[in-house]
Parts: sequence; C-alpha cells; structure tokens
Amino acid sequence: MKASSSTYQDTSIWRFFSSVRLAVFLLITLAITSIIGTVIPQGESLHLYLETYGPTFFRIIKVLHLNDTYHSWWYLILLGLFSTNLVVCTLRRLPFTLKLCRRDNLSVDSGRLLKMPFKKDWEIKEELDNDSTQSIISTFKRVAGKFHERADVDGGRLFLAERGKWSYWGVYGLHGSILIIFFGALVGLFLGFKGSVMLPEGETIDHIVNRQTQENIPLGFSVRCDRFKISFYDNGAPKEYRSDLTVLNNDKEVFHKSIVVNDPMEYKGVTFYQASYRAIPEVTVQVAKSGTPQRSLTISAFQKALWPEEQLSFGLMQYMPDVHGMPAAQIWIGDQEGRSGNFWLLKGKEKEFQQGENLYRISLSNAKQRYLTGLQVKKDPGVWIVWLGCTVLIVGFTMVFWVPHRRMWLWIGRRKGKTIVILSGQTNKNKLQFEKNIRKIEEALNSSLGARQ
Amino acid sequence: MTFSSSYLFSLTTFIYMGAAALYLTHWIFRVQKVGLLATVVTVGGFVIQTVGIGLRWIESYQLGYGHAPLSNLYESLVFFSWVTVLVYLIIEWQVKQRVIGAFATPFASLAMAYASFSPNIEDKIQPLIPALKSNWLIIHVITCFLGYASFAVACGLGIMYLIKNRFSGGSAGMMGVIPDCKVLDELIHQTIIFGFLWLTLGIITGAIWANDAWGTYWSWDPKETWSLITWFVYATALHARFVRGWAGRRIAYLAIVGFVSVMFTYFGVNFLLSGLHSYGSQ
Repeated sequence: MKASSSTYQDTSIWRFFSSVRLAVFLLITLAITSIIGTVIPQGESLHLYLETYGPTFFRIIKVLHLNDTYHSWWYLILLGLFSTNLVVCTLRRLPFTLKLCRRDNLSVDSGRLLKMPFKKDWEIKEELDNDSTQSIISTFKRVAGKFHERADVDGGRLFLAERGKWSYWGVYGLHGSILIIFFGALVGLFLGFKGSVMLPEGETIDHIVNRQTQENIPLGFSVRCDRFKISFYDNGAPKEYRSDLTVLNNDKEVFHKSIVVNDPMEYKGVTFYQASYRAIPEVTVQVAKSGTPQRSLTISAFQKALWPEEQLSFGLMQYMPDVHGMPAAQIWIGDQEGRSGNFWLLKGKEKEFQQGENLYRISLSNAKQRYLTGLQVKKDPGVWIVWLGCTVLIVGFTMVFWVPHRRMWLWIGRRKGKTIVILSGQTNKNKLQFEKNIRKIEEALNSSLGARQ
Repeated sequence: MTFSSSYLFSLTTFIYMGAAALYLTHWIFRVQKVGLLATVVTVGGFVIQTVGIGLRWIESYQLGYGHAPLSNLYESLVFFSWVTVLVYLIIEWQVKQRVIGAFATPFASLAMAYASFSPNIEDKIQPLIPALKSNWLIIHVITCFLGYASFAVACGLGIMYLIKNRFSGGSAGMMGVIPDCKVLDELIHQTIIFGFLWLTLGIITGAIWANDAWGTYWSWDPKETWSLITWFVYATALHARFVRGWAGRRIAYLAIVGFVSVMFTYFGVNFLLSGLHSYGSQ
C-alpha cells in the first residue's frame, strides 16, 4: 500500500497490537507467569516471606508483588496488553467482516462457479421445458433450503442458497466476552465489597469487617443469628452447618432464612454465606455468700461475668467437657482491689473459696457449647456482567467453531445451443457434512439429467 | 459381594489394559482382526464400567448417602477413564482409524490402574461433606472431565503426530498405518476445540458454584489458577494455527504440554499445593 493511502490501520504499532503473534505471546506469558502465584503462598504477611525465602528472594517478591501476584502491577499490565490486543484485533478485523457480510454472492459468473471447491456441471443437448427446470430447482431447494434468484446472469438464471453468514460475528462475541468479564470484575472490585463476621448465637450486628482493609462496613440493616446447628454423619464426618438468620430493619424483623453451605441468604444486594463456625464453652455456676441466697451466673469464654452485689468478676480459663464423666471448669475470680485467684470446679462438687474477708460457696450447675457462626459477606453488583460475559463466550465459541457459512449455487443457462446446469458450493467449516449434502443434490440431478446428456 | 461396583471396576481395569495391549498389537503387527477385537473389548469394558458407575450410585443410596459417584479422587479417576474411552470411541467411529486407540486407551487403563491399585486412594463410598452438597457438583465434574478426557486424546494424537513427523520417510509398516500428518493436525485441532469448550464450561460452572458456596466466583485458588493456565495453553493452540510456522509440529507439542498442565490441575494441585479443592486428594 502506498504511503499516501495508508490509514491509521497501517501504522506499525497498530499492526503490532493486532497481531495473532502478540496474542500467542501473551497467552503463553500469562500461562507461565500464572504459575508463580500457585507456588508462592499468596496474601501472607511480609515478614513470613522474609523468613521463608531469605533476603535476596524477599526483595524480588516485594518489587514484583509476588505475595499478591494476580493483582501485581506487571500482571495487570499483561492483562491490559491482552485487552488492548483483543480490542485492536476486533477493530482491525471489522472492515473485512463488514465487507464479507455485504458481499453480494449472487454477482458471480458461471466461470467462477466452476472454480469452487465443490462443483459439477451437466450439458444437455435439447432445451429444457418449464417443468424440467422447475423440477431441478425444487430438487436444489429440497436439500439447500431457502434461496435467492437472479435472472440474466451470464445469460442464465442463478440461484443461491446461503446459510450462516452471521456466524462471522461469533468471533467478536468470543473476544468481546473476555472484555465483558473483565469489566464485570472491575465493577465488583470498585462497587462491591467482601467481608466476614463471627456472629454469636442470639446476637445482632449492623456492620461487617472488610476482608482486606479490616475496616467496618455498615450494612444499613441488622442481622441476628438465632441459632447455629452442626450435624454429623454416623461416621463422624460433618454433614451440615446451618445458621438461622433474621434480618432486622429498624429493629423490625423483616426476613428469616436458614442458610447452609451452598445456600446463602441475599438481602438488598448483600449475600451472607455459611463459611465457618466456632464453639466456645459457657458454664453456669451457682454462687452464694454464707448466709445469703444462691445466685446463678453464666460465664462465657473470653468474657468476664460480673456479680454486682459482691463486686466480683468471674472468668472461664479452661473447660473440659469430660472429667470422669463430668464437665469441669477452671474459674478465675477477681475483685476490685485487684486480688485474684483461680480453681477447678467439677460438676456435682461444691467448693468453698475465700475472697477478701468473705467466704463463698460455688458449684457448677450447667455447661454447654455456645456457637459463633462465621459468615462470609459480600456485595458484588458486577457478578451479572460476568455471567453475561460467560454466556456470550460460549455462544460466540459455538458460532466460531460449529456454525458454518455455506453457500450453494445453481446456474441454469444456455450456451452454444446447449443447456448447461452448474451446481457448486463452498463452506468454511464442516466440509464433510457439506459435501454429503451437495452430493445428494448431485445424485438427484444425475438421475433426472443424466439420461438426457 | 461379588457383583459390586468395585468388582466391576477391577474387571474394567484389566479389560482396558487388555484393550490397550490389543490396540498396540494392532498397530505394531497391523492385523485387522486384532484391531476389531480391540474395539470389541473396549466397548465391552465400557459397558461394564457404565454398569459399575450406575451400581455405585445405587450403592451410595443404599448406604443412606445418596450422591453421584463423582465426589472423591477414586470416583473421579473412574469417571475420567470412562469419558476418555467414550471420547475415543466417538473419534474411532467418526474417522475409522483404530491406530489412535494405541495412543488413547492407555490413558484410560492407567487411570483405572491408579484408582484400583494405589494404596493411598480411598475407594469406599463416603458421605458428602457440606461444601460438595450442591447440584453443581455433577455439572461441574462432568464438564471438567469431558475437557480433560478430550485433552488426553488430543495428547495421544499429538504424540502420534510427532512420531509420524519424525519418521516421515517410512510410509510403509508401522508408520504407514498412522494417518497423515495433515489428517492428524486436523484431528488434534478438532479435539482441542471440543475439549476447550468443555474446559471453559467447567471453569464457568465452577465459578457459578464458587459464587454460591464461597461468595466469590474467582479466588485465585491453585486449582482455579491451574485450570486457567490450562485454558491459556489451549487458547494458544487454537490461535497458533493462524501464525505462520506454528501449525503442525508446534501445535502437536502444545497438545502434549496442555495435557501436562491438565494433569497438574488434576493431581499436582491436590498433592503438591494446598487450597480449597483439597477434598479431591482423598
């Protein structure tokens, strides 16, 4: 092409970005570099990498962000180049596809038809009457399907049955779908969040903790865990983790749902997943100062319980569910002066203890596990865009590889006092099936025309 | 318990090994009748294995668990070999070339032998852990393994291509019965297209399932990442045809490299790397 007529499409950078060579290079590079993040643990704290890999390799990890490979600057550059490659390829290919789709496949002459990959012609001495011509056309139609006709092509009638021209757009769907998926991922990244929360049974939260930044994210409504239940198979393997959740809007219950793994709860675009659980022991003790009535106190692990009348605090230091068939708990006691002590308590055995000037009696009356349900919480408005992209990807792929563009021509004309019938065809994929079809027409025409040759 | 699924699977293992030996014999000695016998034996093994899979499904209901036999490494190996034989038989029926069997059935018999004889593989029917209790399990596993099996066959074809290409001088004897490089190249391409569609569907169904179960459709878990790496390799193979000098031999190499990546996605991730898919290693 001359320099004067060269368009923006011919600059070398444009050609570079639209080349299949670049696509192949990027695909191989992405394949190889993606291995890194599966070998080096991702998302650990930095000092751990220093310990594991030593100072030299640690510096490489830090510069190349190998602790978060798939969000590192160079990986994003690769994905950016990949996207650019896709866009430029699309733009460069577009004019050709438009030309292909606008091409008038009826403007061919009989000579061209005889150069097609599949062709067959018959010469008949006499002139065909109307009925025979009609029968040839209907034979063609029966196998080839709907057709267009043009009179007076090369002194004859030309028929064209064309199918699957639209399949040329499949590759745009296929390539565009990758960009749609990337876009959906970005929407999720910027407009959504991922977090988690440990919610004890009976308690309510109105915010969750962002997984990356550890910041609180207000939900705009509250969620209460009414109950957590774990069930087991006979062999002891876990069968089901179930949390009964209630959504509250301004302290009003609006929604109940029992969630299990694989069946989350969604409310106002926020989804709650059953992710984990923790069991913490909780004991109930009966305490009394000599001469006063008994009082019941519930002590949870990690939480102090207060006996307000006596200004005493109780804590649960250790819990053993089965000591000679009975639960036992190590109880911590402290008073306001900072004096503290601890002792073991076995269910069914009362104990006396001295705290300051007073003597107390204490017994363990009840012990149980209290559950915290671990919920994964996320909002991702981009997920539907990603699913759309996946659908377009599959549809596009099917079009590209399995929908053929096939054309079958039939020409009936007269030359040098003879009638000539030409059958020809072309397809861009699935040649075997195509050949079978066109042979069918050929055989039918052979039997009706063969005798008259 | 003679007529149990595990009995049928042991039987299948030996039948497939026999079939692979017959296909090899057919290739080396070029006896048509042996080839026909190989096909008959393979189809017989396939039928027995199919009954075995159905039986195992029923047995799981009898144990009160009630799940499709696709839940652990043992069951996945059985299914992998089943799909590989299925894909191969379809290709044999389509292109009428039994030599391919010498390069495809060994994958199926190796998978069965590994499942049956490895002491580390639990072959008991186990209940489903909560994470696997989903309708997506069946769809995800079937789509993935249709991909894996196609790639196994493509790898076999790639090896055939390289052998044929290397000894291209001999059009007689053992080389003579291997189809032309041009035919093999087209077969590799078609098989990769088929596998690529299923791998893509496998990744997508996995993403949908992960979004339901873990709250994120993509978390760069090693299994996910390796399936993407595999996807990149085969995407390369599909594009390489349009690059001058890449068609033919390099695509045959890519078919082999791609299958190594498949194998790593399947086994390597389970045994060497840790992640969310660890139940596949039991």
